[in-house]
Amino acid sequence: MQDISLHILDLIENSCQAESDLIKIEIIMDKNEDKLIIKIADNGIGMDQETLENSQNPFFTTKKSRKKKVGLGIPLFKQNAEHCNGKFIIKSKKNKGTTVIAEFQLSHIDRMPLGNLADTFINSIIAHPNIDFEIHLRYKSKETTEFYLSTKEIKEALGDDIPITHPLVYEYLKENFEEGIKKTYMEEL
Amino acid sequence: MKTLEELRKLREKAKEDMKMRSSNYKIKIVVGMGTSGIAMGAREVMKTILEEISKRNLTDVLVTQTGEKGLASLEPVVDVIIGEKEKFTYGNITPDKVKRIIEEHIIKGKPVEEYIITANE
Repeated sequence: MQDISLHILDLIENSCQAESDLIKIEIIMDKNEDKLIIKIADNGIGMDQETLENSQNPFFTTKKSRKKKVGLGIPLFKQNAEHCNGKFIIKSKKNKGTTVIAEFQLSHIDRMPLGNLADTFINSIIAHPNIDFEIHLRYKSKETTEFYLSTKEIKEALGDDIPITHPLVYEYLKENFEEGIKKTYMEEL
Repeated sequence: MKTLEELRKLREKAKEDMKMRSSNYKIKIVVGMGTSGIAMGAREVMKTILEEISKRNLTDVLVTQTGEKGLASLEPVVDVIIGEKEKFTYGNITPDKVKRIIEEHIIKGKPVEEYIITANE
């Protein structure tokens, strides 16, 4: 993975496959504490203790149908965070959901760039119209700015007759995210 | 800032559009978005599909994603499913190839043979 936004997309896909109907994503860029924090919380089927421990092992996968018996998504993200003076926490409860928190030292020389967050979010929203997303971006420095988007609000405004996957909604989402990303200074790092 | 009010206007516009055509999905495009797909550029492929569909206002095409299918060496992988039966699997897809597939297969109905891995017709 070349950047953090691709790791986020990978984790969102995990949450979608865990039968979640609400996924909350929070990204905090904290200049005061020199931290970049990524939280992804879902309300899906969760994992028992054994699967949870195994999820951080690259040679473990729950996908029985495939030949390739490795799952690199979580281990790679963990390694990247820990390598950048950060930490990686994964919490899960069977039938309640899973939360992943990755923390990086913001100024660490090896920290991957954030990448294109708008692409990641739009991708997930349109590919999973039955799942609701709450996306929160926060910038903390001398000033504090934030951006929030809830697909539930968007779906309500669109009503029953227009799906969120309608081509006209794509531009709306794109402009909305681009403004939010700019406002929270997450476009260039 | 974009407001929800703008969405409500957009809704009216979309409703007008829908009156003019039957908007049941006729074509489904499925992008493999597992870890290896993502690492090989599946998000850029997905983005190009969404942009082309938005640009051309193709309301009868549904775009969705799936996880890993064990085709790692052929990622990014894209399925084009037409109606109930026809399924074409494209491999090693790039944004440029997507543009050709949209133009030739989705719009004109002619599969792009050279990118196809498997086809069930």
